[in-house]
Amino acid sequence: MTPWAHIPQLAFSGITMGAIYALVGLGFVTIARASQIINFAQGEFVMLGGMITFFLLKGVGLPYPLAALLAVLLVVIIGFLVHIMVVYPLRKASVPILLIATLGASIFISNTTALVFGTLPKALPAFWGNQPLQIRGIFVTPQSLFVLGATFLLLISLYLLSHRTVTGKAMEASSTDPLGADLSGISRNLMAFLAFGVSAGMGAIAGIFITPIFYTSYHAGTLVGLKGFIAAVLGGWGKNSGAILGGLVLGTVESLSVAFIPSGYKDAVAFVILLLILNFRPKGILGSPFIDSRRW
Amino acid sequence: MKGKKWMAYLISFLPLISIVWAPSSSWAGKAPYKIGVNLELTGPWAEVTKTVKRAMVMEMERINAMGGVDGHPLELVIEDNGFDLVRAAANMTKFARDKEIIVVVGPFEDNLQATTRAIAEREEITNIIICPSNPMLRALKQRWSWNIAHNDIVVSQKLVDLCSARGYRKVLVFHAAHPLAQSLAEYFKQFGEEKGIKVIVSKETHKPTDIDMTPQLIKLKPIMEREKVDAFYACTSGPPGPIVCKNMRTLGIKIPIIATHAFGFHFIIDLGGEAMEGVEFGAGKTVVPYQLDENDPLRPIVIDFDKRMMTHYRTGADQISGLAHDTVWLLSDALRRCRAKVTRVNLRDALENTKGFKGCMGIYTYSPTDHDGLTKSDLVFIRIEGGKFKRIKFPGYE
Repeated sequence: MTPWAHIPQLAFSGITMGAIYALVGLGFVTIARASQIINFAQGEFVMLGGMITFFLLKGVGLPYPLAALLAVLLVVIIGFLVHIMVVYPLRKASVPILLIATLGASIFISNTTALVFGTLPKALPAFWGNQPLQIRGIFVTPQSLFVLGATFLLLISLYLLSHRTVTGKAMEASSTDPLGADLSGISRNLMAFLAFGVSAGMGAIAGIFITPIFYTSYHAGTLVGLKGFIAAVLGGWGKNSGAILGGLVLGTVESLSVAFIPSGYKDAVAFVILLLILNFRPKGILGSPFIDSRRW
Repeated sequence: MKGKKWMAYLISFLPLISIVWAPSSSWAGKAPYKIGVNLELTGPWAEVTKTVKRAMVMEMERINAMGGVDGHPLELVIEDNGFDLVRAAANMTKFARDKEIIVVVGPFEDNLQATTRAIAEREEITNIIICPSNPMLRALKQRWSWNIAHNDIVVSQKLVDLCSARGYRKVLVFHAAHPLAQSLAEYFKQFGEEKGIKVIVSKETHKPTDIDMTPQLIKLKPIMEREKVDAFYACTSGPPGPIVCKNMRTLGIKIPIIATHAFGFHFIIDLGGEAMEGVEFGAGKTVVPYQLDENDPLRPIVIDFDKRMMTHYRTGADQISGLAHDTVWLLSDALRRCRAKVTRVNLRDALENTKGFKGCMGIYTYSPTDHDGLTKSDLVFIRIEGGKFKRIKFPGYE
């Protein structure tokens, strides 16, 4: 059997993983577009989404849709709190200091989760149907289709937010031209505050969609967050479409690499790709609004 | 005025002081035997080690309520190592230097064990390891460290029995990339081939942190179809176990799955859901307390322990708490047997003389050359059915 025969199935599995990375990457980008902050607590929002839904579903006994909705709301509030308690007091500090602060918030959130919900991993039931569908020899779970759908819908709603609403435009303006934004009467702190809410909500939605496929535990946020960040940088730091493309490329390449090399090196592939692309195209695949392209 | 305040303080503290003094006064002056406990109470294993701690404390209290060991109470000195190598080593050294501590239990994680075992050897203090033993460490034949759990050889032998009983002729092994899983795979191949089973050990592996095994399984699927394997051995532990089962069923692979004793925990079924149905493995007897044979000598011990866990902590016995139970009782048994004088050397010699000690995980027999106490007859076959563990029996294989 040649490696080529596995390609379709591997590609599909890669696209599913890629969509997940993309969802997390989108969260990074949303905050970066509004405030230039790299929020390393993004992975924790994903973890919290799954964790809180699990608690509301199994611990409190709410119906699934209600539990999921409530979890998203709670995570949005946590996102706001992260901004109020961590980012806002440091608003005059430089970006690297904020980055370390969000890293601290991330460690705080994950350890608090361990205390509150315990350290054993937890899984959610699938939304609908456990049986895989067979399409032209490829096995597909309904849940991975949901993940793809969610990614698509979130991308569209983000596009509408940033291109069709004043708030979205103001959010973007406060990052691309801080002085201009100030002069136009945009409150940059308010925009960063809103961005944290939006990105926490997206993280939570991602967490709820992917937990039925994998599982979640208090330290699951770190790896997911890192891969999402790589996806966002790979596609072009600061672009929604870049995060989506970067995520899909990362997931697919990771998955396809298994056909040709032993699976032990799967995780290394992501970093090799990142280094290669950043060496030859530092602004990412689609280019980044934050990196002056004339310099490269 | 000041004097009155003083008196008020003193009076309010009096009951507190008497509470603190009460337990020690009832022991008529006999010094307690101190057991150091060095566990990962925080970090990824927190929930598992909490079970260990709970079970050990419960059993210690029970032994003390029954009069202790020859009148000496047991005392646990519990230290958290936070899943950190340096702190684990520091705790171990601290315990070893404390003359009152006669034995150290823990830690859990592989590389932390390796360090504390080396310290135990140097400082000459018994170190009891609860988690399954690392084969490379075991090969060192250290005189001061002990394994309580079933080791990889025993588990592999039991699983080969399962395959023979089920009539599997060809088995594909998909193992995790860590020493214990690798050694489980190798022993399974060795013992399996002795029984005429063809064992294919996959070149693909997975890491304990992997959250998706689909790519590896896609690559293995054609091998399974071409070789027509009868069973798939998920040679792994922790969350990757249910992930492998889920991914297998997602890819439409329907062959039976056999697994390691690490699948014998309820959280594994919770994680895997429907995909876990029909998975079979050999595991310790505490997984199915009420399904043991009526004439099983361990049955009363296991059921009694399960009931006590239920009343104290509202969770039944599992393999981890079973091992913690056995650790405390093995120690109290050995302490009782070194009547002359309880020293670290005497305790070790007494432990090495343990013969046919009945715990709830099995019947322990140690010797100066064998610090793994259990055999394959201490395992039972388990099948996951309807989201529960069900004991299965095969004539001739137990």
